[in-house]
Amino acid sequence: MRRRHTCDIVVVGAGPAGLSAAQAAAEKGLDVVVVDANSRPGGQYYMQPLAAGSAFARSTQVMRGKTEVRNATAAGVTMLLATEVWGAFPGFVFHAQDPDGAVCIESKAVIVATGAHDRVQAFPGWTLPGVMTPGAGQRLAKTSGVPPGRRTVLAGSGPFLLPVAGTVLKAGGTLVEVVEARSSLLPTLPLIAVHPDKWLETLRLVFPILAARTRLRFGEVVVAASGEERVREVELAPLDAGGQPDLARRRVVSDIDALLVGFGFQPQIELTAVLGCRHHFDEEAGGWCCTVMRDCGATDICGVFAAGEVCGVGGAVPAALSGRIAGLAAAGQILDEETALERRSLVRRLQRARRFAGGLNRRFMPPSGVAEILSDETIICRCEDVTAGEIRKEIAGGMDTIHGVKLWTRAGMGPCQARFCGWSLARLVAEETGKTMGEIGFSRPRIPLRPVPLNVVRDSIL
Amino acid sequence: MSRTAEVIVVGAGIVGSAIGAELALLGHDVMIVEQGVPGAAVSGASLACIGSHMIDVEELPLLAWARDAWRTLDEEVGGFDYNPCGQLRFVLNKQDLAVARAWIEVERSAGLNVELLVPAQVREVEPSLTGPVLAASWSRDDAVVNPFLAVRALLDRARDCGARLETHCRVDSLIEREGKIAGVRCATTDMSAEHVVLAAGPWTARLAAGLGMNLPIRPRKAQCLATVRIPPSIRRVVGACESDGGVEAGYTQIQQTRNGQVLFNTVLADGLVDDGAQDRIPEVDAAFIRDSVGTLLFLFPDLRSVRLLRSWVRFEAVTPDNRFLIGPLGPEGLWVAAGDCGAGFTRAPAIARLIGQMLGDDRPAFDTTLYAPDRFSCESPTST
Ligand SMILES: Cc1cc2nc3c(=O)[nH]c(=O)nc-3n(C[C@H](O)[C@H](O)[C@H](O)COP(=O)(O)OP(=O)(O)OC[C@H]3O[C@@H](n4cnc5c(N)ncnc54)[C@H](O)[C@@H]3O)c2cc1C
Ligand SMILES: Cc1cc2nc3c(=O)[nH]c(=O)nc-3n(C[C@H](O)[C@H](O)[C@H](O)COP(=O)(O)OP(=O)(O)OC[C@H]3O[C@@H](n4cnc5c(N)ncnc54)[C@H](O)[C@@H]3O)c2cc1C
Repeated sequence: MRRRHTCDIVVVGAGPAGLSAAQAAAEKGLDVVVVDANSRPGGQYYMQPLAAGSAFARSTQVMRGKTEVRNATAAGVTMLLATEVWGAFPGFVFHAQDPDGAVCIESKAVIVATGAHDRVQAFPGWTLPGVMTPGAGQRLAKTSGVPPGRRTVLAGSGPFLLPVAGTVLKAGGTLVEVVEARSSLLPTLPLIAVHPDKWLETLRLVFPILAARTRLRFGEVVVAASGEERVREVELAPLDAGGQPDLARRRVVSDIDALLVGFGFQPQIELTAVLGCRHHFDEEAGGWCCTVMRDCGATDICGVFAAGEVCGVGGAVPAALSGRIAGLAAAGQILDEETALERRSLVRRLQRARRFAGGLNRRFMPPSGVAEILSDETIICRCEDVTAGEIRKEIAGGMDTIHGVKLWTRAGMGPCQARFCGWSLARLVAEETGKTMGEIGFSRPRIPLRPVPLNVVRDSIL
Repeated sequence: MSRTAEVIVVGAGIVGSAIGAELALLGHDVMIVEQGVPGAAVSGASLACIGSHMIDVEELPLLAWARDAWRTLDEEVGGFDYNPCGQLRFVLNKQDLAVARAWIEVERSAGLNVELLVPAQVREVEPSLTGPVLAASWSRDDAVVNPFLAVRALLDRARDCGARLETHCRVDSLIEREGKIAGVRCATTDMSAEHVVLAAGPWTARLAAGLGMNLPIRPRKAQCLATVRIPPSIRRVVGACESDGGVEAGYTQIQQTRNGQVLFNTVLADGLVDDGAQDRIPEVDAAFIRDSVGTLLFLFPDLRSVRLLRSWVRFEAVTPDNRFLIGPLGPEGLWVAAGDCGAGFTRAPAIARLIGQMLGDDRPAFDTTLYAPDRFSCESPTST
């Protein structure tokens, strides 16, 4: 009933970090299994299109992803795709499900490379069809070749808006506006100036938007969306000197059918949390990150390594580097072999890559003023139908942590387990209590990491 | 806010909240002090079945009274999803059938409304229970409540009667002066009181130890699983008949919440852990998941493709004879109400009543010798 694999190292996540970790460990002669929930390897960055003949089939990212996958396979890595890990138990026993049922993997060490996911921002109207995160819009376009809508507004903050704009255009959609919350892109220029390796990439990202003459706006945020069956209008407001949305000066953009709103990413720490690893809060790196030693990727739990964006959001380059470092270090630990020398230059390159990423993230920190936008009726947790008003009531009653608010409102207790509402909830609690995001904590993930059918569970654990 | 109260209740679980409400209702000046979030320890994670069936024969008067008290509380204040759904305890073999018959006999003679059902009757009471059971006992008057809302209802009642609640305030030690309790010490402040009631669940022994008392309360790992919401399918609280081996032989509880989630657990291991374990919540055990899912699907095979959503772990407070410690402890003015042994939700109103009566020098309504905090003191040290 269940299929069982034993190996030296299991790598969870087949993105840039996981692929390079797996390859590095396999090149040391170890038996490595990579598990990924997607049916194609590549993670977010090397995402492979599902639709044949898609406009994305031959993009550089896709082609590089193909090479990475080929290299890993050539090194002897076993890939278990469409396989989602839902449980981890002491002794490195991992339980997963694939379309045929239960899969169990036992290993001597694990490298967690589960990446990051979009931060979802709640606002009045965010639950309307047609409203999604830039990541979801991009995934839709890249995997199916269809744009998220005919007429799309893309808003939020961060460099990631650029590739998404490019993707929407390439998929044949119309971008009505791109709205960046920061008041200008100028502060990024000095950073890019000192990183010549980023010039070409920057140009490549900016060019399609300029070529399509897309309207770019700065210093505004989405404050509401409306429509009957689907989003038709979006309201935007400028940020005042204090960084708060000035609702008196809001304006409306109508005749749209898609609205993508995003404020970067947050590390996907479910697995490292369930494994008991330490985490720390780093606003610039996307929030709660798995804590690792930068020169080897080791967490505070023996045999558990982490690489890529689960340790902090920073892009594909640091992800791949940290993956290779963790792969070498994990292999070294199992083989009882010193790998520090091999890692040294990688560690230097990682430091540099992270500096750039940190600099970029710092320049695009999400604005405050979330509480301002959320009316009492706005739903925060859509799984459990919890409104901002109900959450405010608990805060007024003395709850000043995510944990407390969650217990007393059920926000974050539904099927998505706070993946969608976690960030908005944290921002609301932080702003209403005057505490920092680090102080209010996070909603603790537990087994199962993702909902899993009971019969799969029954077949998994003997 | 004044740091003085007549009575300080340590702990805002269901027991501390019930005591706070009772004492405030009786006119005492009460302050409830909670180290974290009210209900966030074992109480909020409870399956909160309010039942008197197959628990403890000698405690039947207290259990039956407590069960009725919950119904009264629902009528008086409500708002905690009180659902008088009744409880089924399934029987799988002949040996357990005899056990079930014996329980039913004593409970009936104590005036409880319980009976034994044959499989066809079980299906009538619980149509989705299609697994091969031999029989089931049926305790019609048992109920379930929403544990968080119940804690809230009692805290609201306490506050309506003038009690104060301090959250995120941990009592680090008890203050004793000349053989009398004088108050409690928290990180930054001392709070003075004439009476202190310890309702601190598995942390109670630690507080008592500070005054040199050795309470035989140990933490026990309690675990639970929840599915995603599904349409109404399980109507009752479904448990396992207590079998010959007592609780050690296994324990099952399955129920569906009002919002549609199926909550369930099957506990085969004893789960006793050392003091300190309760400070850091771990993950559920693999064997626990296996046993719980196995039992659920054995009884309700149609749920096989329903998705498991969540697991949680808490720590109950266990005593050697599975009964609470209720009553005076050590220095004058110090009281204890802890040692829930996994069934403290039901008992909470009765415990509150007893504490109210003892504190007010009234005749206790139930046999307090069963709960005497010093009842183990002459025993061999099985307690440690
Ligand atoms: C939505 C999104 C879009 C992005 N688009 C761009 C872009 O266009 N350009 C750019 O430069 N950067 C982009 N980035 C950033 C870039 O993709 C990342 O920096 C890079 O992919 C990080 O690599 P990683 O290996 O750490 O994680 P990822 O590439 O995210 O890979 C993580 C993998 O882990 C798998 N996984 C997670 N949990 C489990 C589990 N429990 N069981 C099994 N598998 C699991 C996931 O399926 C995923 O494939 C994007 C990021 C996101 C989140
Ligand atoms: C899965 C599960 C199912 C259950 N099902 C049932 C059932 O069906 N029926 C039933 O009757 N019972 C059931 N129980 C047991 C029941 O929930 C407990 O017996 C009951 O909740 C115990 O309540 P309590 O107030 O004693 O403990 P707790 O809820 O643990 O309360 C103690 C409180 O004291 C606080 N505290 C501790 N130390 C300090 C300090 N130093 N300073 C300040 N505050 C402190 C704690 O933070 C805590 O909030 C179940 C339990 C579980 C886990």
